[in-house]
Amino acid sequence: MDINMLSAFSNQMADAVERIGKSLVMVNGRARQPATGIAYADELVLTADHVLERENNLTVQTYDNRVLGAQIAGRDASTDLAVLRVQGLGVPLATAAAEARVGQLALAVGRPSPDGVMASLGVVSKVGGSLRTGRSGATLERYIQTDAIPYPGFSGGALVDVAGAAFGLLTTGLVRGATIVIPMNVALKVAGALTEQGYVKRGYLGIVSQQVKLPPALRSDKQEYGLLIVRVEENSPAERGGLLIGDILLAVEGQPINDADDLMAALHGDRVGKPVSVRVSRGGIAQMLTVVVGQKS
Amino acid sequence: MTRSLLEVNQAFADMIEAAKASVVRVDAGGRGVGTGIIWHSDATRSEVVTNAHVVAGVTRRNSGGLRIVTADNRRFAAQLLAGDPQLDLALLGLAVGGLPTARIGDSARLRVGELVFAIGNPWGQTGVVTSGVISGLGSMAIRGTRRIAPYIRSDVLLAPGNSGGPLLNAAGAVIGVNAMIFGGDLSVAIPSHVVAEWIADNDRL
Repeated sequence: MDINMLSAFSNQMADAVERIGKSLVMVNGRARQPATGIAYADELVLTADHVLERENNLTVQTYDNRVLGAQIAGRDASTDLAVLRVQGLGVPLATAAAEARVGQLALAVGRPSPDGVMASLGVVSKVGGSLRTGRSGATLERYIQTDAIPYPGFSGGALVDVAGAAFGLLTTGLVRGATIVIPMNVALKVAGALTEQGYVKRGYLGIVSQQVKLPPALRSDKQEYGLLIVRVEENSPAERGGLLIGDILLAVEGQPINDADDLMAALHGDRVGKPVSVRVSRGGIAQMLTVVVGQKS
Repeated sequence: MTRSLLEVNQAFADMIEAAKASVVRVDAGGRGVGTGIIWHSDATRSEVVTNAHVVAGVTRRNSGGLRIVTADNRRFAAQLLAGDPQLDLALLGLAVGGLPTARIGDSARLRVGELVFAIGNPWGQTGVVTSGVISGLGSMAIRGTRRIAPYIRSDVLLAPGNSGGPLLNAAGAVIGVNAMIFGGDLSVAIPSHVVAEWIADNDRL
C-alpha cells in the first residue's frame, strides 16, 4: 500500500485549490450572500452578472484580506458575465486550462465569505455546443457542466483542473437549477468586448424563420434541417443581401444551420459589419448570397 | 510522477480496507444506529468516540442496552463515559481489550481541496464509503459558552447513520468525526484535534 502516492495525489488537489484561490476574490454586490470573481487581467475581475444587484458601492476582498473598491467596466445579462475594474488589485492572475474533456476531474472553487476559499470535487459532466440563454436570444458558443457542488456564493467562481488552471467561470444564474460553466476562452471573448465598449455586440440579419426538414437532395451527414424564411424586415441586412421569403437558409460561412441556435452562434459579434457568405435553397436550387451582418440594438 | 489511475484506485481500496477495522456500529438500544471510532484500546478495555446525538437518552448510570458491533461482527455492551451535546461528542467504554484502534491524523493543518473519505452505516447499511474533498474550514460559537469550535466542511455524501463515523484523509488517518448534514450538500465534521483535546479534558476530571 503506497500511502505516499495517495497523499501526494491529495496534496496536488489542495495545491490546485490554493493556486486558483489566490486569483479568486469575494464580490460584494448584493444584500446577502457575497459571490466570487476571477482576476484574469491586470486590475480586471470577471464575475457573474446576476450577482451584481447594485451598480455602486461594489467591493471585492482579496485572498490576503484587502477590501478594494470596484467599478463595473461592462456587463451582459444574456451571458451572465460582468467585468469589474479594481484599482490596486495586485493578485496572481488565473490561467486557462486546456480544453475540458468529459470525465476529467474538476474542482469547483469559490470565495463566498471572508473565511477563505471553498471547494468541491466532481468531474466534467458535459461539454456542450451552443446554449441559448433566454431573453435576447443570445447564445454561448460552448458550455461545460459539472457535478461538483456549487455552494452558495460560488457564482463567478472557477471550475479548475487538478493543476488549478481554470476550465471556466461557474454560474447558477444562467439556467435555472443547473450549474453552467462558461469556458474560459468564451468568457474572455465576452470580457474583451465588455472592457472595450461596455456591452457585447451581436450580429443581426433581420429575418423571421422556422425550422424545416430538408428534401433528401439537400441533406448531408451534418445537416437534416434548414431555416425557412417567413419574413424579411424592411431595410434589414437580409433584404439588402437579397434574401427572400421562401428561401431556406442552409449555411453561413460554410457552417450548416440546422436551427435558430446555429444561426445565433454564426452571427457572433466579430462578424458585425462584415460580409458573410449565406447559402440558401431557392426553389430547390442552392444559391450563394453575401450579407453584411448588422448589429442588434 | 506518472502513475496509472488504476494503481491509485487500488491503493485507495487498500487504505479503506485497513481503515475499516476500527470503525464500529453504535446501537443505542433501539433508539437509533450510528457509527463510532475505536479511539483507544489496551489489554483490558477500549474507548469508542461517537456523536452525542447518536446516544441521546443514554446516561452514565443507565446505558439502556447500548451496544457496539465491530467490523468483524463482534458485539459488546458499552457504557457512556462522557458526553457533550454542545460539541456533539460522546465517549463510550467497552470492557474488552485488544481492539484495532484508528490512526489519528493532524487536523490542525488541513487544506481545502484535500481528498477525504467517510465510512459509516447510513440507512442501516454497514461500512459504506463515500468520498470528496475538504470544502472549507470554519469555526462556530458554541451555544451558551464562550467557546469557539473549529469545524471541517466537506462535500462527502453523508446520511443518517453516518453520524459519529470517521472522516479520513488520503493516508487513512482520522481527521474528523462526522457530525452534521445540511441539506445533503454540506457535511460537517469535528476536527480530530478538538476530539483529542476534549477526551484529554475529560480524563483530567
